Amino acid sequence: MSDASLVFHQDFPVKGGDFAKAGAVACRIKELLKDLGFDSWTVRRAAIVVYEAEMNVVMYATDAQVALSVAPGSVRLVVDDRGPGIPDVDLAMTEGYTTATAEMRELGFGAGMGLPNIKKNADDFHIESEVGRGTRLDITIRTNGHGTS
Amino acid sequence: MINPNYHAIHITKDKCIGCVHCMSACPTRAIRVGGGKARIIDQLCIDCAECLRVCPHEAVHSHTTSFAALEHFEYKVAIPSTVIYGQFGPTVVPNEILSALRRVGFDEVYDLSSICELNCAATEEYLNDHPSPRPYITSTCPVVVRIIQRRYPSLCGQILPIEPPREIGAKILRTILPKALGIPAGKIGIIHITPCPAKMVSINSPATLAKSYLDGAISIRDIFPQILRALRKSEEDALMRHLFPETLFSGIGMGWSLSGGETRGLRSHRAVAVSGIRDTMRVLDEVEGGLLQDIDLLECTVCPDGCVGGPLGVENRFLAKSRVLELVAAAGEHAVVDQKDVSRLYHRNFLSFDHPVVPAEPRPLDPDPGTAIRKAQRRESIFAGLPLKDCGICGAPDCRTLADDIVRGYAKLEDCPFLGKDKR
Repeated sequence: MSDASLVFHQDFPVKGGDFAKAGAVACRIKELLKDLGFDSWTVRRAAIVVYEAEMNVVMYATDAQVALSVAPGSVRLVVDDRGPGIPDVDLAMTEGYTTATAEMRELGFGAGMGLPNIKKNADDFHIESEVGRGTRLDITIRTNGHGTS
Repeated sequence: MINPNYHAIHITKDKCIGCVHCMSACPTRAIRVGGGKARIIDQLCIDCAECLRVCPHEAVHSHTTSFAALEHFEYKVAIPSTVIYGQFGPTVVPNEILSALRRVGFDEVYDLSSICELNCAATEEYLNDHPSPRPYITSTCPVVVRIIQRRYPSLCGQILPIEPPREIGAKILRTILPKALGIPAGKIGIIHITPCPAKMVSINSPATLAKSYLDGAISIRDIFPQILRALRKSEEDALMRHLFPETLFSGIGMGWSLSGGETRGLRSHRAVAVSGIRDTMRVLDEVEGGLLQDIDLLECTVCPDGCVGGPLGVENRFLAKSRVLELVAAAGEHAVVDQKDVSRLYHRNFLSFDHPVVPAEPRPLDPDPGTAIRKAQRRESIFAGLPLKDCGICGAPDCRTLADDIVRGYAKLEDCPFLGKDKR
């Protein structure tokens, strides 16, 4: 018997510039979703979303919090960062657009697929950004949702 | 009958003193210590043998085939892993090793280096035919297949569906030998010789075949003394060597046992080789997170430096590696396998899996999603109260695993020595 108000909530901090730990939150969330009985496809979509969001924080922001809320059949992720913000959100949502430095791209990061890839794997996607303050992503992934990767 | 929970790694209770070396070394947290003995949880074990490497009391053993167990075969064939060529000194050449194995009692012994080259050529053809998904992952290491089934189930479809050389070699022999020798197939034993306990798992519980083409796997460590004796005998009788046919070794396949060796022969694809269990898991996490899509083929071997670092070898892996590299250089770069033969076998699906790799049964906290959420909440609140010392005294490898065991009903909060009645 599933109770609609039943939600598992956990916050995960991410530090900007910490390339060594990038991906750690994605791994933790993946394990959690498996333990909660999500199918492997939903788990993978969530892993991709968190991985990309983590990379964005590591590359551009000072720090962030990933807030995970899981209800039966749905995963909500809110990624709230303190950072430079995005001046033109529509442009940032274009595949291939990147502000990554040559150095970052040499390391294999910043191919400009991050935000579009997050959107592609999400069932609901909202982005708000304020220059000089930070960016907030609100993503929902549902079992049997339409997100593809 | 295939048993999905067959394992090659076991704990000998009499020798186990209940210390925590194996439990701390286990990458999938599959070991618990209770009642003074270590115990392996079948569904979590991937047979990587990390526990076998670290046990100070030789209490972890692997089930491999004994030579004596082959008696009932009328005709015994050995196909040793190419790792074997690196186990002897610089003066012992591969042909002598194969001859020594015949003297040990095998009716025939075949080299796998050319089959390794064949596998590489077929892999190249498969990658040409299948532009996505990326990266494909090689299936040679049976532990990698098992860890994907258990921890990275969404990657099952990215395992490149070409059988590894040991199975292809055995399949070719099983097809040809009964007719050539006039001996019924069931009377011919085809045995792998290997430094790897997990090969017993891929033989007894194959993930991609209805039935393995191999009848068993002998550990290099077990058969090494017999090979040495046979090598000494052939020194006394040097002419014997000339009675055996020369084998055409493949330089492309000869290095297969080293990390990167599986993919070295690829001409037009980008490959990455990873070795070691923890690095393999890290990279598989990245692949599951959508990274490495610009790589065509990912070679993962869980032993350090590749199969040459297998736990049942004899020579230390650095010397073995150096010897194998000498042999690779000596054999040269030219192909010994005809590309037309490869194409023919490939298009007949002779080299393919019987069926794709399927994910292992998941282990959610509870089959009911709501109850699973409640258990996860409880697990977090238990974890928050634990001392985070990861001491292992409770019998679980770390505090997080203890919290998990408690909500799954396998452990109690009182198992923690810091929270028990008499605080220490």
